[in-house]
Amino acid sequence: MASLAAALNPAALVRSRFRAWWQARLPRNDTLLLTQGNIYILPTRAGFMFGLTLLVLLVASVNYQLNLGYVLTFLLAGSGVVSMHLTHATLRGLTLHLKPVSPVFAESAAVLDVVLTAPATARFGIGLKIVSTSGSTLAWTNVPGGGQSTVQISFVPGARGLHDVPALSAETRFPLGLFRAWTVWRPAARLLVYPKLERDAPRPPAARPVPGGPSQSRSADGGEIEGVRAYRRGDPLKLIAWKKAAKAFDTGGELISRDTSASARQELWLDWSACSGLAPEDRLSRLAAWTLAAHRAGADYGLRLPGLELAPADGDAQRRRSLEALALWR
Amino acid sequence: MILPRWPGWRHLPRESRDTLFLLGVIAWTVLPHVSHLPEWCIALTSIVLIWRAALALTSGALPGRWILIAVLAIAAGLTLWSYKTLLGKEPGITLAVVLMALKTLELRARRDAFVVFFLGFFLILTHFLYSQTLPVAAAMLVSVWGLMTALVLAHMPVGQPSLRQASWLAARTALLGAPIMALLFVLFPRIGPLWGVPQDGISTTGLSNSLKLGSVAEVAQDDSIALRMRFDGTPPPPQSMYLRGPVLSRFDGTEWRPATPRPGAPAAMSLESVANLRVAGQPLHYEITLEPLRLSTIPLLEATVSPPRIESYGVAAREELVWVADRPIFERVRFEADAYAEFRHGPIRPTEALAQFRELPSGYNPRTVEWAQRFASDNGFDANDPARLVRALLQHIRTGNYSYTLVPGTYGVNAIDEFWLDQREGFCEHYAASFVVILRAIGVPARIVTGYQGAEGIPVDGYYIVRQSSAHAWAEYWQRGIGWVRADPTAAVAPDRINGSRRLVPQPSLVAGAIASMSPELLAQLRANWETLNNRWNQWVLSYSRGQQLNLLKNVGFKSPSWEDLTLLLIGVLSTFALGGAAWAWYDRHRTDPWTRQMDQLRRSMQSIGVDAAPHEPPRTLADRLRSRLGPRAGTMTALLDALERQRYARGGATRPDPGLTRRFKAEARRLRAAPQG
Repeated sequence: MASLAAALNPAALVRSRFRAWWQARLPRNDTLLLTQGNIYILPTRAGFMFGLTLLVLLVASVNYQLNLGYVLTFLLAGSGVVSMHLTHATLRGLTLHLKPVSPVFAESAAVLDVVLTAPATARFGIGLKIVSTSGSTLAWTNVPGGGQSTVQISFVPGARGLHDVPALSAETRFPLGLFRAWTVWRPAARLLVYPKLERDAPRPPAARPVPGGPSQSRSADGGEIEGVRAYRRGDPLKLIAWKKAAKAFDTGGELISRDTSASARQELWLDWSACSGLAPEDRLSRLAAWTLAAHRAGADYGLRLPGLELAPADGDAQRRRSLEALALWR
Repeated sequence: MILPRWPGWRHLPRESRDTLFLLGVIAWTVLPHVSHLPEWCIALTSIVLIWRAALALTSGALPGRWILIAVLAIAAGLTLWSYKTLLGKEPGITLAVVLMALKTLELRARRDAFVVFFLGFFLILTHFLYSQTLPVAAAMLVSVWGLMTALVLAHMPVGQPSLRQASWLAARTALLGAPIMALLFVLFPRIGPLWGVPQDGISTTGLSNSLKLGSVAEVAQDDSIALRMRFDGTPPPPQSMYLRGPVLSRFDGTEWRPATPRPGAPAAMSLESVANLRVAGQPLHYEITLEPLRLSTIPLLEATVSPPRIESYGVAAREELVWVADRPIFERVRFEADAYAEFRHGPIRPTEALAQFRELPSGYNPRTVEWAQRFASDNGFDANDPARLVRALLQHIRTGNYSYTLVPGTYGVNAIDEFWLDQREGFCEHYAASFVVILRAIGVPARIVTGYQGAEGIPVDGYYIVRQSSAHAWAEYWQRGIGWVRADPTAAVAPDRINGSRRLVPQPSLVAGAIASMSPELLAQLRANWETLNNRWNQWVLSYSRGQQLNLLKNVGFKSPSWEDLTLLLIGVLSTFALGGAAWAWYDRHRTDPWTRQMDQLRRSMQSIGVDAAPHEPPRTLADRLRSRLGPRAGTMTALLDALERQRYARGGATRPDPGLTRRFKAEARRLRAAPQG
């Protein structure tokens, strides 16, 4: 769609080409110190209006020979010139630093944490945004003198995979809004985008018990179907045995969870071939959703993709490995 | 509408507080215009501002665009109705005020306020068309500060910045801009008006090219100097020291204006030919230093025969017995001239041109016209013997309970009716105008002459000083066989004003009165200080003109300066500053944060002895790495890094890096590099 619009509007095409060429020249760095060399400044529309106002005031002063009119005109002109320097100085000396970016699922918002550090003087009215987004989607902040402030910029990445963090811009119009100073910053960090999560995905395929696991001996006992234990902080709601918990409440007890260590000694394979009939990307989406479901259930799970197999395991590391594999598979 | 309880300034939501602040600044900016705006405009503006304030407090929805356009259209219609035009000074100001008030109803985002700011700056300038005194300047400085504070607030989108902080930031911007202002003010060439001759700009005190009764409730006592005079020989007595200025003969019912000269008439160079001036006796040679009066009519002693020689101005004689420069004089000029105390002027026999001096607009001042005609018929006067009529009128003024006051109050449309028949209180303008109307009603050609009358009794350094407060208006009537004759009705009611040549001291105000009764010395002292201050303001700021600029250039070393030199000097100074700024920027390009620079140097030293160091690593990490790689050999270096860590991050650390630490670190690295391994 964007390329179509660009094709129809040659000026926009040239502009976007120029921007891309310009940005490609900028070195990538996770920490950027703003100096004379990387801050740009131009008058805003209000700045041009201000210039016009000054011209009107000057002509009126000349025509009516008003010395106080001259004083007013020149005071405003002087303030305007000073405001140009102040606007520039608001950015100059700032340090921008991008914190490590956590991976996100495609089509959900990624959050960039940018830390701004000011030298001795306080800075006001600094807005950050992603260069390619249009309009007034600036995230504003002030930076105290000798201190730091953090700005969160969110954006929705497109496809899965490992992407460069998009170029960011920081701008300010402080103090009078007559000038806009800005900088363009290409962070070096890369953003890992997992496949899009399938919504309302079907349940993962049934787990097969691990031969010789503890759950078999437990079920051989007859009486209790599952092991239970006291609720531990962080247990998913699904694991809570509500009926038992209700009984336990009556007698002054606590919540009771199913004992997954007992029940989850089962093996779950999340398999590419189990999602037959779907497009490749949709299969990845489903596998991602299953990964999360399996992780929530606390099961051991493995992942089988064409040309790639992850051995069953559980825990956060397995979740990350699995999602990474899905993100980078091609 | 029920207003919510006032939550207190500090507890207002940010948007409401900023809006209320801006509304306050706007009200303050508009306020001094109240005396010259039509009532509907004041009412409309107040309603709109109060409405907007209420909306800000209740967070109500702003009205739609069509309502605003409708109100604006109505306001334009009312302006047209009030002034019969949309162009010119007063209609322009009226529309600007309305526009600014209405624009506040459109302020959704803080940035929308730009139009308000720029209209505000423009309105501030319009105040100077009326007055450029110190109090006005101070009030407008507050306005500029307020508007700039609101601008700064609009560009601090985060949190709730305090007004004090924003106003300090605005003041800092203006103070830093002040040197630029001073430079431009001193060096910007004062060129003449670019087009037209804006007579609007003339202040209401002193002489002007028009006279309107009833518009001024109180005459400001303007003690600034209008001119200084020095005589070769015996100075004339004060009662005959009449300095003739603009002659006003066109009357539209409310306002008096000078007759327009016939277009295309050649500039006459002698009063004898145009005004039929006949002189007798010996001429009196005198010298005048004229302050910038912004008039083209040159006030001269009656009757000055020779054209005053003023550098770079052309002068022409007029039928009204005045010399007129080819453009208003905006600078201080000095010239010499000759006057004859005995003179007659004007046509001896009736001419057609005299008819214009009998014209009265119908429908205005009907009671005075009727009174005049009855006065003439009752006493058997007619237009052929105006001298007797004038004597009788002066007698009427003396005995008719008239009084002289500088605080006459305002008069309505039929100002002369109200003054002559009812209130009977006024100053020279009232007497002169009524006199002329009555004479015209009887059929005698008559006109108003404005100028200065009298001077301060004691000459300073040989100079008689004539102040703006000596501005005067008198009447002239035409008599067959003689010509124009002066009649000063003010002399009949307040002889002191004329004979004593002492300016009338106005009634002291309440506060001044109270101070005077407690401590006359204090009051005198205060008044003296205030006058000194005012005088300096007038001298240094208001009368700073091309003359002073060229003098300045002379002092700087230019031989024969012109305004081109001035422009070149200004461009030169500005270019120097710009080049200086560019040089600094070039230098600053390579300048980094001192802490960063220090870390760069330390890292390079470490890399030179083979220990890697990444830019993001803090001193502590680098120290750990040194310890693990080199062990006790790097003891000094790790100690220095630990010290740096404390300087930068510990409580009460240093604000700037310690160059000694960097030096020692580098020296230690060199030593390690030179020392044999192991």
